[in-house]
Amino acid sequence: MSHSHKLVIKRSSMSRPPPPPPTTNKDQQHQNPSLQEINIKLIQSGEKERLKELLRERLLECGWIDEMKALCRAFTRKKGRNNVTVDDLVHVISPKGRASVPNSVKAELLQRIRAFLASTAD
Amino acid sequence: MSGPNEDNNTQLSSHIFGDLLDSIIVDVASECHRIAKLGLDRNLEEEEEEMRLSAQARARVADPSNSSETNTKYVVDIFGQTHPSVATEIFECMNCGRSIAAGRFAPHLEKCMGKGRKARLKVTRSSTAAQNRYSRGSPVSTYSPYSNSTSTNRLSNGTPSVAGEEYSNGTYEEPWNKT
Repeated sequence: MSHSHKLVIKRSSMSRPPPPPPTTNKDQQHQNPSLQEINIKLIQSGEKERLKELLRERLLECGWIDEMKALCRAFTRKKGRNNVTVDDLVHVISPKGRASVPNSVKAELLQRIRAFLASTAD
Repeated sequence: MSGPNEDNNTQLSSHIFGDLLDSIIVDVASECHRIAKLGLDRNLEEEEEEMRLSAQARARVADPSNSSETNTKYVVDIFGQTHPSVATEIFECMNCGRSIAAGRFAPHLEKCMGKGRKARLKVTRSSTAAQNRYSRGSPVSTYSPYSNSTSTNRLSNGTPSVAGEEYSNGTYEEPWNKT
């Protein structure tokens, strides 16, 4: 009924380290801060979304996405439909996926990204 | 741009590309997970089987060793039927009344009606220039080997000269018209 007005020292909150910057990418804590700025510019200008859609379209055209889906299906068949997690599938696809992007696709995206960086350089 | 700046840019670009790729990988994984959990991939297995079969069929068609064995004349269509390369149904030519195979009908008509025109033209234009011109290469018919000097002789007796048997090997035989 009555709130205690005693001063309560929450030691835990004092000793907690400052929260990390609001990104999901762990690397960004070790990278130069300009990556964060670039990222913000990418997102705010809408370029990140456009780049992602372009990449997705190219990967679709060359059959990369179909290959990845086939890998997922094969894994799901082995492991059983109800035992599969998204994390599982990410780990199944990631190594093969990153290695099998066609060079032309990668080059095209890198070129666009570099162009964006150049356009935002001060 | 100075050197180190460019390297930095390259590294940044690669990193950003990696980000994008990871993001797409997660999307694909998430979608596959959803399909698996909802059991929507029941139909996909059948589609996969069909795709494999069609790829096999395509490979068989594209295979050069195949077409040399199975004579091009006997290509099998999707119903398993074979068709001879020259259509064999017989029709009656409305111009000359002859029985002609369907596959030979068009060239027959060219000569049948073309020669008829030639005969008509020969009567109206009796100049040798016209004769020579049509005897060398008829503008009507594309088969110029057939128009040689002997054909004009045959035309002169008024009978319509019609194509003989094997036009494809270049000979011009007329088993019917014995001059």
